[in-house]
Amino acid sequence: MLISRRDALKTGSAAAALLGSDDVLASAQNTIRLGGSVPMSGKESDTGLNVLEGYKVAVKYVNEHLGGVKVAGVAYKLELQLFDDASDPQRAVTLIQKQLDSGTDFFLGSFSSAIVLPTAALTERARRPMVQAGGGADQIFTRHFRYMFGIYPRASRQLVTLVEMFKSMHGQVRTCAIVATNDPFSKGQADGSVEYLRAAGIQILNTYRLPPTLTDVSGVVSDLRLRTPDALICTTHQEDSALVTQQLVATGTDVKLLFLALGPEIPAFRANLGKYAEGLTFNQYWKPTYRFGDPFFGSTANYYNYYTTVTDRKETYHTAGASLCITCYVKAIQDAGTLAPDKVRDALAALNYESFYGQVKFTADGDGDAVLMGAVISQVQPSGLEVVFPPKVATAQLVYPIPNWATR
Amino acid sequence: MLDRLFQALVDGVLQGSVLSLAAVGFSLIFGVLGVINLSHGVLIILGAYLALVALRTIGLDPLLALPLIAAICFGVGYLYQRFLISPAIRRASLLSSLLVTYGVALILQNLFTLVFSADNQSVRPDYANSFDRFGGITVNRLQLIAFAISCVLIAILAWVLRRLPIGRSIRATAEHELAARLCGVDTDQIYAISFGLSAAFAGAAGVLIGMLFPFAPSSQEDWTIFGFVVVVLGGAGSAAGALLGGLLLGIISALTGAFVGPAYPNAVAFLVLVLMLLLRPHGLLGSAFHGSR
Repeated sequence: MLISRRDALKTGSAAAALLGSDDVLASAQNTIRLGGSVPMSGKESDTGLNVLEGYKVAVKYVNEHLGGVKVAGVAYKLELQLFDDASDPQRAVTLIQKQLDSGTDFFLGSFSSAIVLPTAALTERARRPMVQAGGGADQIFTRHFRYMFGIYPRASRQLVTLVEMFKSMHGQVRTCAIVATNDPFSKGQADGSVEYLRAAGIQILNTYRLPPTLTDVSGVVSDLRLRTPDALICTTHQEDSALVTQQLVATGTDVKLLFLALGPEIPAFRANLGKYAEGLTFNQYWKPTYRFGDPFFGSTANYYNYYTTVTDRKETYHTAGASLCITCYVKAIQDAGTLAPDKVRDALAALNYESFYGQVKFTADGDGDAVLMGAVISQVQPSGLEVVFPPKVATAQLVYPIPNWATR
Repeated sequence: MLDRLFQALVDGVLQGSVLSLAAVGFSLIFGVLGVINLSHGVLIILGAYLALVALRTIGLDPLLALPLIAAICFGVGYLYQRFLISPAIRRASLLSSLLVTYGVALILQNLFTLVFSADNQSVRPDYANSFDRFGGITVNRLQLIAFAISCVLIAILAWVLRRLPIGRSIRATAEHELAARLCGVDTDQIYAISFGLSAAFAGAAGVLIGMLFPFAPSSQEDWTIFGFVVVVLGGAGSAAGALLGGLLLGIISALTGAFVGPAYPNAVAFLVLVLMLLLRPHGLLGSAFHGSR
């Protein structure tokens, strides 16, 4: 049979296209590619690197100890394809769009709501699932996204436990002030807490809004000296949390309770503040001492042991939350029995199981169930990070009021 | 109310003095070479990291390490100008220095991330947290020390530029390179020394900034922007201009933070910047050096 030049070209082009397709390559090598971006540099990178480490550890475990993910009798290895978005939402959007164009089916989230929000909109439009442990802003969960799942409850519900703690303190906390930066997470958390605080009868003396780029909060600190609240609630990211604390210390501005939404969970943050880190309270979503079972790691203790043997980066709740994103995918893919994104999405939405992190259950809007996956309140104490509320899981008493800065 | 006003003014002056020190090198380079040094912030952060290394490895107090760090940064700046910026300008144009300095900023930022991680750092000895109260005004002692150091260093620079032969050569080169050459000034050397001086001041400012604020490799962008704003306000090429611009920026930020709201200092500062560019593009004390012409 004679093959015309045109036929040869057609066949060659088709073969080249087929071989060049990433999908074909991926399935040929039996891999499931998990795409996304993470802030490996830039403003959010300290927590971003924690998220990345959590992803890496869980993927390593699944590939090396479980032999990958079994789908219809075939074992697939997980492959991370995460790029540095440099804490820049625009760069993240470009990276995610590129990966969508190249056929990536499953995505992991970046860190910070400002990045998760636009990238989740892209994956939603492409009907590709994203599981993330880095974005809590309400806007992510109130846009009726179906393919986006967040490990943490939405921001406005994240301070419920803190207000419950205030209520349990028999009137010791009567007044508070809120410091928030103008970003979706921080603002959302602050706005949400206002409702709960008012309902609890706690007077809000002032709400300070800070710009996203910040080097000085002396105005806020001076004002706090004039009208000192019982509790200062900072819904700030770690860099701003550090600045606020430093300037409170540097000017001897004492408050009875200092809550920082982000910061104290990071070992480097505590090391920088030294003795002044003691007494800081914060939301904690996970602790290595939890006693939960897990279908993959076996238990929280096993997860923690494995984590500490394969990495030097200190664990935080963000590392655990990121690892949970991976195991959620594994569970959902196994439950779905297929790699079809639609089916995996349905399986993610239906998840309701006990993991090393705690019970996993997403709301209809995709955020973590506020009761099952909500925070506990922890405090930095000489013995380490202690859970101080709710009493059912508390490992130590809350130190209130915290010692004056000058007497430390 | 009066206490609040005085407190804001004090905070503004103290904060502004550090901004001045951070920006004076940027101003010098813009005034003398006409180069907008986009790696200025990274030189500041280099100073902060060197202070961190000195403290953690040999326990050297950041303030004692400051002269040494300034000297190291001088060397870095000198070589940087000699072997990177100067060839780039010679082979292409002055504009190419923008790309070169931006590229160097990115490279160094990533290098810092690799070496020190992206975590926020701080170089705060214990005395950084002591303070005094004068009536209703609270003053942090470290800020006072930083204010004194900034003023002294800027005064020394002004004196060097005005009184010493090297200063006269720098000013002559800035005013007219060809004329300076004809008078026997080695302008290549002067450019490199100016850049070295700029880097030394950036390094010294970095030490103080590392003690006063949390910093990370990515902080460098903010400090380059602050340098730019201070130079536009105060005028390029003059130490007094940088001092005035920094103090002005500090006071504007503090007063806005105290009386308009903490969300607005940046917005107001940039509004003033735009107004200054429209009404007095040379800045308050801008000279007619070629960079600012």
